[in-house]
Parts: sequence; structure tokens; C-alpha cells
Amino acid sequence: MSNNYFNTLPLREQLEQLAKCRFMHMDEFTEGVDALKGKKMVIIGCGAQGLNQGLNLRDSGLDVSYTLRQSAIDEKRQSFKNASENGFTVGTYEELIPTADIVLNLTPDKQHSPVVEAVMPLMKQGACLSYSHGFNIVEEGMKIRDDLTVIMVAPKCPGSEVRAEYVRGFGVPTLIAVHEDNDPQGHGLALAKAYAVGTGGHKAGVLMSSFIAEVKSDLMGEQTILCGMLQTGSLLCFDKMIDKGVDAGYASKLIQYGWETVTEALKYGGVTNMLDRLSNPAKIKAFDLSEELKVIMRPLYNKHQDDIINGTFSRTMMADWANDDVNLLGWRAETGETAFEKTPAGDMEISEQEYFDHGILMVAMVKAGVELAFETMTAAGIIADSAYYESLHETPLIANTIARKKLYEMNATISDTAEYGCYLYNHACLPLLGDFMKDIDTDVIGRGLSSDDNGVDNARLIEVNEALRSHPVEAIGATLRGHMADMKKIV
Amino acid sequence: MMQLHDLSVEFDEGFQLKHINWQVEQHQHWLITGANGAGKSALAAVLAGYGEILAGSTSGIPSNIGWVSFEAQAELIQAELKKDDADILDVISLGTPVREIIFTNEVDPVIAQDLIHKFELNYLLERAFRKLSTGESRKVMLIRALSCHADLLILDEPFDGLDSAAHTMLQGHLIDVVKHTPVVMVLNRFDEIPGFISHIAYVEHGELRHQVKRQDTKAYDELYQLLHLKTTDLQVPTADTENSIPTLDPKKPLVKLNNISIKHTDMVLIKDLDWCIQPNENWQLSGPNGSGKTALLSLITGDHPQCYTNDIYVFGYQRGNGESIWQIKQYIGYVSTALQWEYRVGTSLRNVIISGFYDSIGLYSRSSDRQKEIADEWLALLGMGNRGDQPFNKLSYGDQRLLLIARAMVKHPPLLILDEPCLGLDDINRQLVLALIEKICAARETSVIYVNHHAQDRIVGINNYLALEKSSDNS
Repeated sequence: MSNNYFNTLPLREQLEQLAKCRFMHMDEFTEGVDALKGKKMVIIGCGAQGLNQGLNLRDSGLDVSYTLRQSAIDEKRQSFKNASENGFTVGTYEELIPTADIVLNLTPDKQHSPVVEAVMPLMKQGACLSYSHGFNIVEEGMKIRDDLTVIMVAPKCPGSEVRAEYVRGFGVPTLIAVHEDNDPQGHGLALAKAYAVGTGGHKAGVLMSSFIAEVKSDLMGEQTILCGMLQTGSLLCFDKMIDKGVDAGYASKLIQYGWETVTEALKYGGVTNMLDRLSNPAKIKAFDLSEELKVIMRPLYNKHQDDIINGTFSRTMMADWANDDVNLLGWRAETGETAFEKTPAGDMEISEQEYFDHGILMVAMVKAGVELAFETMTAAGIIADSAYYESLHETPLIANTIARKKLYEMNATISDTAEYGCYLYNHACLPLLGDFMKDIDTDVIGRGLSSDDNGVDNARLIEVNEALRSHPVEAIGATLRGHMADMKKIV
Repeated sequence: MMQLHDLSVEFDEGFQLKHINWQVEQHQHWLITGANGAGKSALAAVLAGYGEILAGSTSGIPSNIGWVSFEAQAELIQAELKKDDADILDVISLGTPVREIIFTNEVDPVIAQDLIHKFELNYLLERAFRKLSTGESRKVMLIRALSCHADLLILDEPFDGLDSAAHTMLQGHLIDVVKHTPVVMVLNRFDEIPGFISHIAYVEHGELRHQVKRQDTKAYDELYQLLHLKTTDLQVPTADTENSIPTLDPKKPLVKLNNISIKHTDMVLIKDLDWCIQPNENWQLSGPNGSGKTALLSLITGDHPQCYTNDIYVFGYQRGNGESIWQIKQYIGYVSTALQWEYRVGTSLRNVIISGFYDSIGLYSRSSDRQKEIADEWLALLGMGNRGDQPFNKLSYGDQRLLLIARAMVKHPPLLILDEPCLGLDDINRQLVLALIEKICAARETSVIYVNHHAQDRIVGINNYLALEKSSDNS
């Protein structure tokens, strides 16, 4: 049975690990991929991350092959086809793992324990094991052989973007970490940096973090603002509109594409820019709603963060893994049966601006969720840079999946871990917002404010603008988006 | 009868059509022509319902319209690409199969099936639309437009990207179609005007400047002249001597492909091919749509994954021995329609040219003053000297193409690959591009691989030919 690694550490070290996060300078990557040149890299798993990272690493001159379970090879499953059709060597664990200098575990979280237990005895003395998510080490407490180096390289984007940006000559923001208990030769960082260069990540910015900070912030972001808030918000906003007589097709469309549209503004200029897209009275309305939401939801965000920090969340979820995912699958089916999910989007035209004007409550929910997630993470000792990436930065990426095929697509494409946390959040948040929603009308969701009243109080507007702009997520966001823009644009 | 009455229309990019007065009578078939960026495609798009009407009015425009254009094609491909990044963690999207793209509710399945047969597309109905070659996806667009019983057909450059067999087939097919359906066609190439065109509209700077009847030979000839403005003598800007490409051994071939094959799950695209390109050799590569021209070139550029499973020697590197693709790409300049679709970047025109020094889509490196100077020389050459700071993605299709050709040439690469470089260009710009390529060939420091369908686009200085045939076992 698993043993939570984080909980075995003394408080002093827990705090130190949680606070690890540093934006690395371009000069730290001058050695390129040298540390991995001529080394044999074997990737376990060939889904979107596995395949696309492998394509990049090979194009950077590195020696990449794939290892799959015997059954995946025999049955020529999609993972086998992905690897072999792209001209990679594919072999079983027994064939390839003993030859590997570095083994890249790019399988889903749930498979980490059995996969690592299967490959570890086959790995050669002094080799390196790499993860792209630290759940297995931190939450399951997997103990890795003492002679092995353990690192993490986690591109903060979907696999297809990892590839697309590399091909353009750029990369995606990437988080790297070394598991300090497993760095016997002291070269973990050099390997992680070379790996990040191989995938092109160094061009877009690399955060040096720890396994613990990555896990505790990643879990928090995905289950609260990223997936949970969008799911709860979708259901509440849709039901409210139907209740108030808004056309069902319109309501469905406003929500399905609304999250993507409003968070696009978030991507460019943070919460401030998203609110600036509203008229002055609508902005003040959204601000007031979000303040109210933050008061109601704060205890829930705290509970999620607490459960993540103390291991309650992972323990509960792993119990469900052991129980054939009964809860997960049941909740997934329930989501599929909701009115929002079953009502197709109408074919009316909705302009970009209308999504803001008629979706004031959605804007308020995104603002409240982003700020609460950020505030809760930083209060738990996570550095602002990490908290920004795990909240605001990823929100547009998830919103994009809802635009494609609603909640089904979102839950199908995020990890099972994120999906599980998302349902927990949703179940708690729906009743929590019951009273709040009673007072909501179509002026803030579905129809917009009436246009005959466009006046605002100067003092109040100044106050609201000041509050928006001085939130700490805006300061770190401006800095990090600045880094990205510097690298992306010509200097 | 369709009427546009003193119509002014604005498009997303801020482009405007101004004060258009135009009347299309029953049984007339119009050609819209003009220079790149003049507003030809915009005028056609107005009929398809695009753009925001600022003033004036329209009447009589039917609602059921068949529309084929690069913009519509790019839109569909972009929608497909968007589906492709559907994975947040671990799902590979397979894309929409061609069958689903063609057989929508609007389409008459009998006509569509007949066209599929005529275009010889049967074998790729189950393939993902986004995996098609440029010519193949163009054919799919044509089938959709031609089989929806449209009351008006808008064909914006319908022949571009088609191989000669498909070109002839389509011309023949249209002769039947025009008997019952009015056609508005946009063409850059005067020499391709079909016989049934009865009227010509000439657009310039967003205005409808001339309307000419086909029978009026004098007016017709003048219009032709207008499009054939002679280019003055061209001086190709020099390379950047401060950051030159590492030199190659002049005795070794640039490219040596030994017995290569390209296989897909459902077919063998290329089988047992040898190809050796020596320094200063210029090549023309031809073949029908789907014969593997682009795939073959991407083996050389390193963009095809099977470059690691074949015996390929490029620029001193035997592939698969620890070299990076950037070490390969530094020796290559490259232009293709696919590149243009990928080059969806809001960066400035100057930066697009400078990105040719770094082989990137967009610019992510600090460039030197010298590189900026060279980029400005290229802009002047293309007649865009005062537009260096404008955003690339707001340019017309043809202007974008010219910019990308300059981007490919800017570093004076040892190998310049031009995959149908004239697609989407008007006569004047086509001549400009061909003249540029001839200069480059004549300078004898660059080897050129030139891919095209148009036999009349021969280039002086090309004397090696490779013709691919469509693989037979692709059922």
C-alpha cells in the first residue's frame, strides 16, 4: 500500500519544497542537449505527450525509442501505431529498458505504480527515470532504487502544442525538477535542462520547481478553477437561463463558447483585461458578484487545498482506483445526463462582444475562481509563479475543450486525476451556490444589462479598477507574460 | 438578376470595397481579375455573404451558393487543425474523414459520387481531411460546391493546385454546369480564362474599375496589358556575411537519397527511389496530385518522420546520427502552400523576412542591424518598402506568398525548394517571382528544386527533371 511521501517530511522541509520555484535564465541552457547526446532515451507510453515529446527529442539529435507492454505490441494498439508509423524503434520492457540511459515515463498517473514497479528492476545501474508529473513520487510515495536519478520535465501544454511550437522554432513553457532523494551522481539538473532543450521548452521559459510544489499546485489548479469552476458554472448558468425563459439553444451556445471567448481576454491581459472588456456598469456588476462568490467559495477552496496538502484527496481517489473507478465512472455518466450537456448549441450568431455583455456572471465566476485558486495556493506556501501557471495560464486551454464538445470533451481530455477532483468540486459547489443563484436574473446571464442605464459612480469605478489591477495574480501575470512576449516577439 | 448598388463593404482585416456598382444578368458568366491585394476575392466573398455592409445595398443574390476559394479551404483546414489539438493529456485526434466532409446534407450524393469518381478520389474517402495534399483538399472543396445544386457558383482560383488531368476534367465539367448555373470566377492568370466567360470585372484598390465584355476585343487586350506591366531589372539583395551558413564540401552532393520508400498504413507512396542533387544543379519536380512530391521534399527538409528510416544523406549529414533538424534546415530555403497555412503569425512583414535567417515561423531570436537592412532591401524589391511594420496576417494571399518567397531566399541557401511557388499569384507577381528565381539560378550559388503543374512556368537554367508517378497499389 502506498505511503504519502510529502507527509513523511518534517514541516521545515515541506515548506521549503513547496516554495521551490524559479524562472530560469536563457544563459543556463548554453550547453544545449549535450548532457543527453549519445545517451539512449526510452519512452514508456505513446499517447499525445509521449509521441510529441519523442518527435521533438529525435529532431534535436537525440536517440529515442519506445517501449510498450507486450499486449499493446501484439494487438497493434494505437500507441504501437503512433510510434512505429513515425519510424521509431518499438520494443517490450525486457528488450529496451536494460539498454536505456534515461527512461521517460509518459503514461497516465494511474498506471505509474505498476509501470514503475515493472521497469525499475530492469533499469541499468545509475540510469535516470524521468516523470512529467510527480503524483507517483509525492502522493503514492513510490521509492525509487538509490542508484537511479529521478527528474521531472513537464511541458505546460497539450502534446500537440508541444510539437507544433517546436516545429515553428519555438517551444512551450516547461517545468523541471529533480527529486533530491534520488540524485546520486548530482547530474539530475543537467539532464533535466538538456531534456527541456530537446523539447524546445527553453525557448519559451523554464520554471525550476520541486516534485512537491508541482503536484500540490497542479492538483489544486485543475480541480478548482480549471475544471471544477467551469463545470459548476456551466450547469448553474444554463439552468438559470432556462428557468428565466431564455431560448435553450442560445443558452447552450452562450456557455459552450462563452468560456473560451472570455478567457481569451484573460490570456492576453489577465483578469483586468477580461473585466475591461465589459461596459462600466457591467464591470462593476461583475466585480460585485465575484466578491460575493469569493466569500461563499473560499472555504471550499481552502478545503480542496487542505485535502491536497495532507493527502486526503489522493487517498480517496486511489481508493476509487482500487474499486474499479466506480465513483469516477458514475459521476462521468451523471455529467453526460445534465440538461446543458444534452441541449445542442443553437445556430444563431453571437458576436465576440456579446459573450461578455450577456455573460457577466461567467466573467465573475472566472475572476473569483482564478483569484481564489491563486490566493489559496500562495497561502499554502506555493510560489506565485507556480500558482499563476496552474490557475490563470491554463484556464483558456481548458475553456477551449468546452468550446469543442462541452463538458464531455473537457472531462475526456483532462487526466483521470483532474476529472475526479473536478467532480468533487462540482458536488460541493453546486449546493454551496444555491442561495446565491436564487437572486440571479438574466441581466447578468443571458440577456445583459438594459442599455438605458449606462451611468456609473466615478468613485466606485476608480475603486473597482484599482482593486482589479492591484491583485497579486496580476503583478506576477504581467511579469511572466512579459517573459513570454519577449521571447516570442523580436526584441 | 443580381445587383450591387453603390455598395461599400468592410472586412475583418480592415480592407474595404468601395462604391461597387455591379449588375450580373441571367446567363452572364463573370470573371473578376486584378493585381494581388486589389480586392478580387473580397468582391467574390461579398456574394457569399461575407463582410460588413457599410453603405449601399444588394439584391437578387441567391442563398444557395457553391463557393470555392483559398480562404474557404484555409478555414476548413484550420477548423480541422483545431480539432487536432483536442488533447489536454493523452488523446490523438484522428481528424474528420473525407467522406464526412463531402457528404453533408446540402450535397446531392449522386453528383458527388460521380465527381469523386472523375477526380479519382475514391481511394482516400476514409482518410482524414487534414492529411490530404493541397491539391487533394482543393478537389474536395470543388466536389462540395459542384454537387449542392447551387443557384450561383463562385469559383475563386478553382484551377490552382490541380494537376493537368484534373484541370482538364474540371474545365470540361464546367461547360455543362454553366448551361444552368451562373458562374462568377476569380482568376489571376489571364491565359486560363474559360470560353464561357462573357464579362470581365477588373478590381483595383477595392474599387470596381473596369467592366469589359468578352467580345470587346480592344478593351480586353488593354486589360491584359494592364496585368502584364513589365518588371524593371531586379537586383537580388546580398546575403548576410556576418552570420553565414557553415560552408559545405563542394565535391560532395547536397542531397543523396538511396533507395528510399515512403509508406503509409494504407498505401506505399514512393517506392525504391534514388535521387542525387549535386551543388549548382537545378531540378524541376513534377507529378500528379497525391504522387508524393511534397512528402519527398519533406524527407529532405527533415519534416517527414520517415527521414529517420531511410538512407538519406543531406549537407554532410547521414540522417539519424545525432544531427538536429535545425542543422539541416540552415541549408534550405523553403516555400509551399502548406507553409503559408502554418505561417499564421501576427508579426511584422520585416520580421517574416528575417525569420528566414532562423528557419522559424515567427521570430524568436534577436536579429542584427544588418539582417534588418537586408529585410528592408527585400521589401523594397517587392514594392512593400513602406510596409515593413505592418502585420503579416492582414496581407492578401498573394502578397503573403511573395513575402514567404523572400523569406526563403533571404539567406541565399545552398538549396532552395519552391513547392508550387506561383500558386495564388497574379500575372505580374508571377513574372516577378519567376524572374527572381532565374536570378538565383543564374548566380550559381544556390541549387533550386522547383515543383509545379504549369508547363508554361519553365525556368531558364533548370535542366534536370524528376517526374513522379502515382503509385499503383493505393487502393
